[in-house]
Amino acid sequence: MTTAVVPHDRPVRSRPEPSRSGRGAASRTHSRWFVPWLFLVPALAVVGVFIVLPFLNTLAIAFTDSTMLVPGQFVGLENFGRLLDDPRFVTALVNSSLYVVVVVPVMVLLPLVLASLVTGQSRIMGFFRTAFYLPVVMSAVIVGLIWTNLLGKQGLVNELLQWLNVVSAPLPFLTDRWLLLFSAMFVTVWMGLGYYMVIYLAALANIDDSLYDAAAMDGAGAVRKFLHVTLPGVRSTMLLIGLLSSIAAFRVFGEVYVLTNGTGGVGGRNLTMTMLIQREGTGLQAQTGYAGAISLVMFVLLGGLIAVQLWLQRKQADR
Amino acid sequence: MRKRSSTGVIAGTFVLSLSLAACGSAGGPAAGSGGADGEIGGEITFQTWNLKNEQYTPYFEALVDAFEAEHPGTTVNWVDQPAEGYQEKLSADATAGTLPDVVDMGPEAAYTLGSAGAILDIAEADPDAESDYLDKAWEAMTFDGLGGGTYGYPWYLNTGPSFFNTALFEECGLDPDDLPETYDELFEQARTMGENCDDVSMMARLPVIETFGEYGAQLMNEDGTAYAYNDAAGVELVESFKELYEGQGLTEESLNNLQTNEVEEFKAGRLAYLQGSSYTLNDLKETAPDIYDNIAMGPRIANTAPNMYIESLVVNASSANQATAIAFAKFVTSSENQLEFAKEASVFPSSAGTLEDPYFTEEDGTPETEVRVTTAEQVGEAVVWWPPAFSGAGDAETLREQIALALLGDTSVQDALDASVQYSDERLAAGQ
Repeated sequence: MTTAVVPHDRPVRSRPEPSRSGRGAASRTHSRWFVPWLFLVPALAVVGVFIVLPFLNTLAIAFTDSTMLVPGQFVGLENFGRLLDDPRFVTALVNSSLYVVVVVPVMVLLPLVLASLVTGQSRIMGFFRTAFYLPVVMSAVIVGLIWTNLLGKQGLVNELLQWLNVVSAPLPFLTDRWLLLFSAMFVTVWMGLGYYMVIYLAALANIDDSLYDAAAMDGAGAVRKFLHVTLPGVRSTMLLIGLLSSIAAFRVFGEVYVLTNGTGGVGGRNLTMTMLIQREGTGLQAQTGYAGAISLVMFVLLGGLIAVQLWLQRKQADR
Repeated sequence: MRKRSSTGVIAGTFVLSLSLAACGSAGGPAAGSGGADGEIGGEITFQTWNLKNEQYTPYFEALVDAFEAEHPGTTVNWVDQPAEGYQEKLSADATAGTLPDVVDMGPEAAYTLGSAGAILDIAEADPDAESDYLDKAWEAMTFDGLGGGTYGYPWYLNTGPSFFNTALFEECGLDPDDLPETYDELFEQARTMGENCDDVSMMARLPVIETFGEYGAQLMNEDGTAYAYNDAAGVELVESFKELYEGQGLTEESLNNLQTNEVEEFKAGRLAYLQGSSYTLNDLKETAPDIYDNIAMGPRIANTAPNMYIESLVVNASSANQATAIAFAKFVTSSENQLEFAKEASVFPSSAGTLEDPYFTEEDGTPETEVRVTTAEQVGEAVVWWPPAFSGAGDAETLREQIALALLGDTSVQDALDASVQYSDERLAAGQ
């Protein structure tokens, strides 16, 4: 067996294929410019058909009075003016925004704490990692149904609270506006913890152990190690999770839909932006123009939210 | 870092696009190609919803065979769609121009498809058909808001008696031999029940649009171009519910309940009154035998005519074999076939004269025939109160939400009904 030795001072270059006509080879390469695009065609087709075209379509119909069966006429900003007068839109905007404000900080911090606690190779840690991840693989509808039963007036939670004498009468988790909204937030957090925990586990694995050793030698305890080694080590991951969970929280649908039995709560006070879009934009009598306008507003608001987070991310990186 | 930001921008835009891409629109239906006066022949598709099962499949297969035998050279492909998402299926088909030739639907869907020109105006295409059906059934498929056109062959009707849990009546200090027959009596007894019992109630759902009709409110103006249920009678009805709610005669859950929740409450023994259909008795017998042992029945509570529901068969305006589609729709809704289907499905026929059959007039002493005969009599005076343009999604949900807000005291009853009417009027105008 022989080993080829390549001198370090000579760059390794592949030799050009001998060709009877150099120009022919160049032209053949030139004529195959489309080959990389062929590989991209399936993905581009899916993105084009299912995302770009509907996106452009929604953009266009947001300025029309179209319904599900009638294309409609251009009405300018009329749909947006109608939005401002629609109390359901205000309710939905408040609920979705509140969801972001409450859920996102919890989603950024709690999975990190959990990930820090369950990191390690022992079996018991593996068990906890699996247990925390389990809700992620369950459908939002199933989770919603479970929690609907748990939070009902005759549900386990109320029975337990009464048994412990914490409350004298069942709490209206599923009918009171704020209790229901916070119950839905709790379900969202419960479902998402495991997912973000796994992302943090990957980020934690990238932190050099020597940093912890150095901190320990400097006399740092667990809290100081967490604050001065772990947190800086996962800062970019935190920003990513903040971004992802913001988008998910603002687009919340399944949890609220199931907990309110699909009604948007008593008096529609728990409607979220996506529920409002679903209500206006589906069914035979759908007002697709109006639903498109709501979608567009949601798109702009989410875009703004993402822009702010990306700006923060860049600012952090520049420090 | 800059690279990661760019990736973030792309990822964010992609996710955002997904949220925006959820909305779509539609083109109009294709122009018709077949004529109503053409030859009967060729292939058509007949679509029902939620009727292909052990109970009904033999009936429909025999029906299709009989039609094909009567009209050699025709082929009827029967397809059935699940109840879940049926409206979405209809809208997708109508948008794509692939609506089956003959389709089973209620007046609400027929109104929408009729307004888009997707289905045939029967009164125009087949003017002689009117005499084959009960006047009320024909009128229910005739839409003032669409210029008085009739957009479907009436098929089966359904209404039902009031069911009462007599055990709860006794438990809560009411006389089970003095069942309420009017709304005033119902509200009065509901208040008594609320005062005497904590865990049960007389009613478990807010009034729906049919309730306004039965109570005596005017639902729409004369020409069907605007809603009017925010009149004095409508306000009085909701005020009665508000009074009941404030007196603990209606739970907070009731403000959010749908019909399915109401039935569940009745079966669970927490509800004393249920407006049933002709299916209800058998359903209770099979799924809630304890409740079945204690039920009493009475006529449907109404200050005016009792409510009924109607199902129809519409014909695709673009059908390539329109004559065959019309012939088949008339065949299915003929007196003979409606009678047979009514026996299979515990519903009532809309064809003229069929209700006079002994099946609907003679009792054999069993509760089942008692319900059938009583309800058949009720059909004679019942009205399809649901306005065809009233959307089961947007309009009905808004009405329920506004009433709930009024009961909670967030708005006045009049303002709540005004807001609901305004919302429905805007939708009505947008759809025309």
